[in-house]
Amino acid sequence: MRLEFIVNDKKRVLEVAADKRLIDILREDLGLMGTKEGCGEGECGACTILLDGKAVHSCLLVAAQMPGRQVTTIEGLEKNGRLDPLQSAFVEEVAIQCGYCTPGMILSAKALLLENPAPTETEIRRALAGNICRCSGYTQIIRAVERAAREGGADI
Amino acid sequence: MEFNMKNLKIVGVSHPIHDAEAKVRGNAIYTGDMQFAGMQYAAMLLSPKPHALIKSIDASEALALDGVETVLHCFNTTERTFSRFQKLSRQPGIMNQERVFNRELRQIGDRVACVVAETPEIARQAVRLIKVEYEELSFTTDVHEVLKGALAGMHPEGVSFEFEREMGDKSLVAQDCVETVTHSIMDRVSHAAMEPHACVAYYNKSMDELTIWSPNQGVFGVRTMIADLFEMQYHKVRVIKTTMGGSFGAKQDWILEPVAACATLATGKPVKVVYSREQVMLNTSCRAPYIADVKSKFTRDGLLQSLDIDVILDAGAYLGNTMAYIKYQSTLVPRTYQYPYARYRGQAVCTNGTTSGGLRGWSSGELCLFVEHNLNIVARRLDIDPLELRLKNVHMPWNKEMANNISLEEIRAKECLELGREKFAWDEKKQSDADFNLKNKRYQRGVGVSCGGHLNGYFPINFDFTGVEIRFTESGSAIVNVAVHDHGCGTVQAFKMIAAETLGLPVDMVWVAEGDSAYNPFDTGCYASRSIYVIGRAVKDCCHKLQEQLLQDMACVLSMPVEDLEIVDAQVRAKNDPSTCFSYTDAVHKILFTLQKEVSAKHQYKNTTNCGVMGTHFAHVEVDTWTGMTKILDYLAVHDIGKAINPEICRAQVQGAVVMGSGIALTETMHTNPKTGKSVSSLKDYHVMNAWEAPQVQVLFIEDGLTEGPYGAKSIGEASLVPVTAAIVGAVNEALQSDFCECPLNPDKIVALMQERMKKECV
Ligand code: FES
Ligand code: FES
Repeated sequence: MRLEFIVNDKKRVLEVAADKRLIDILREDLGLMGTKEGCGEGECGACTILLDGKAVHSCLLVAAQMPGRQVTTIEGLEKNGRLDPLQSAFVEEVAIQCGYCTPGMILSAKALLLENPAPTETEIRRALAGNICRCSGYTQIIRAVERAAREGGADI
Repeated sequence: MEFNMKNLKIVGVSHPIHDAEAKVRGNAIYTGDMQFAGMQYAAMLLSPKPHALIKSIDASEALALDGVETVLHCFNTTERTFSRFQKLSRQPGIMNQERVFNRELRQIGDRVACVVAETPEIARQAVRLIKVEYEELSFTTDVHEVLKGALAGMHPEGVSFEFEREMGDKSLVAQDCVETVTHSIMDRVSHAAMEPHACVAYYNKSMDELTIWSPNQGVFGVRTMIADLFEMQYHKVRVIKTTMGGSFGAKQDWILEPVAACATLATGKPVKVVYSREQVMLNTSCRAPYIADVKSKFTRDGLLQSLDIDVILDAGAYLGNTMAYIKYQSTLVPRTYQYPYARYRGQAVCTNGTTSGGLRGWSSGELCLFVEHNLNIVARRLDIDPLELRLKNVHMPWNKEMANNISLEEIRAKECLELGREKFAWDEKKQSDADFNLKNKRYQRGVGVSCGGHLNGYFPINFDFTGVEIRFTESGSAIVNVAVHDHGCGTVQAFKMIAAETLGLPVDMVWVAEGDSAYNPFDTGCYASRSIYVIGRAVKDCCHKLQEQLLQDMACVLSMPVEDLEIVDAQVRAKNDPSTCFSYTDAVHKILFTLQKEVSAKHQYKNTTNCGVMGTHFAHVEVDTWTGMTKILDYLAVHDIGKAINPEICRAQVQGAVVMGSGIALTETMHTNPKTGKSVSSLKDYHVMNAWEAPQVQVLFIEDGLTEGPYGAKSIGEASLVPVTAAIVGAVNEALQSDFCECPLNPDKIVALMQERMKKECV
């Protein structure tokens, strides 16, 4: 099928199979390798992207669901060479170890902050419940989200 | 030693890990992200049978598919066997039991065939077209059946391995002891590193050179095993360690590397293999299920006299590392408590279950659970507070352990316990739990404490040396060449910090290379908590050598006695003449142009110590006796870390270990169905704790900086997992006044226990 959609603010037109998974389209057709696959079944959250501003698992979506939609991947967060406040907060709060969960974690947090710019710890924990981090105990990640909410201002 | 703790500018200050910026941008390159021109993709067919012989394979339809390069299986690939656990050339005590593609399939998930094709989709599609005729063989997942003779012919060298040893002096055991026997069971556990296993390999036929990229823990081990398997010279195989999305021991066995090597050797094209989660769970490794019996003898006033430990470990289809695993476990037996005598007997038994491998702590967490559970029951019988019982028995500094008679040096077990008692409010919590439990029927609370002694490196079990090379660049920065394998927990950053601190440079003036068998000095791999303690120490010593070399060369350039020169703040200075002063870059240029020399140093370091490492953990839980759900209300981990090089990363690792160990205690199981031989192979059924369920974990470090490690550091990554499961299980048993130890203590088991109790009460 012919797929026309917006990825990281750019219009993309592709010829793909209707049942090709979004994660494969992003990684294989568009070379956006920041989106990671950890399970392929909606359980780990490593593949999380923003679809029209909401956090979703790109391993569970297929091309046929995508025409006209807006996708943001981790590569699309940096604006004019400046990291998103969430990205800087993750670095500064030492919220990154192996980093495999990081893109998905940041995008789930992004969706939360877009909707709720001043979340409580409980709200953050709930919003990140679909993203597994095997390296940390989530403490630094939660702190990073709190910091981004606090310091991010209009950039979020 | 005073120096260690003072005047440090970099060590002890929290830093993000070296590639954090790349990781937040999504442009850190993991193996699955690598691409080469002409790359081929491999897709695997794994065995659906727990035990079978392949009678025939018809790959014609798969081969006919457009874009398929080849189909590899047992009839067209090498019949030579390998051990996934080979780390050394001529390594004693390993068994070569696996082929790249086995003809006799010994577990569900064993490798049957692999399609190499132009795209991953074509490869996967072609896999479905392969026709295999199986001759089914009888199977079992029960170790007792195997010990009675089942599976006798499965491996020519036998299907089980036994190891027994005694330690200490039996005659010193006091008479009139209280004997307590406890029984523990642990189910299969998955490492569940978020990055699934992946490997890229390329064989350049004209050059006869094979290069392998994978997230592995030992490039020389992979090189050796691959070269031996395919009968190549070691210099013809180059292994490069890639960014690793977590290991926890999962990436210390070589599984995809032989597959990818086989595929590129067959095709002469670069080949990439990426496993799905299901393939990771079925065909890589897991932590073995265990059955353990512990018999302890205590004096009536609570002094430990002897431990008698019997374990049976279900190795799964291949022995892999299990023979080494149980031997290693025996050396851990005397590293926590001081007592006269121990006997350890371990049996590793092959079944048709998923093959086991090392998981973070390498048998230490399992042992800790078995022993600590016994201690909790003893405490109850002797009516001694569990924490008091531990205080009476833990090792004191400079005690010798009885497995190898080496000193535990500055082990701080007692301090850890005392600090924890205060900060966790142990006594207060016990009191308030007693009140709470009296008033509540449905919810019951309890506290648990556990002590887990661990190791730093192989010494004295195996030889433990490493090599490092460091050179100054002309701009005055330093390049450290060492076979380090960052698992994703910040070892590279820690090494950069150690080198920067020692050389007096800013951290980003140091570059640390990762594992590359073509260029690194030889090393045995990043296992056994040796990275910081052994390799990090070697880096520090090599920095000193580099500075000495710089002084000597400058003495030559300046025609001065070397004694008259010194290095202060990254400058070479004449002690008595402040005007003679060269920055590193100026000094390096002087030496280059005058002496025609590069300033570099080489160092080989042999570790000869293994100080005591202690973690004492405290858990407070609430069990819902109706649903069987356990909630962790509070958790404190205290570690005698020596010196935390990068403190926030150390804390994050401890917290991660607590979440992992809590999962192992309460929810995680790769349970194997005895009727089908199939283990849990999806994260839908394998429950890793998420941010919502994870407890708040407080972490305290006792830092004395008094070890042989760099700046006095000890191990932490593995040590932090050791006591967790035991602390949680102890707390649950305290809450329920029960004595069961069958991990995971999931709602099913807790509800069953409650129902049994109710039945008894009714009778
Ligand atoms: S890869 Fe999509 S949720 Fe795990
Ligand atoms: S940092 Fe490794 S999974 Fe989160």
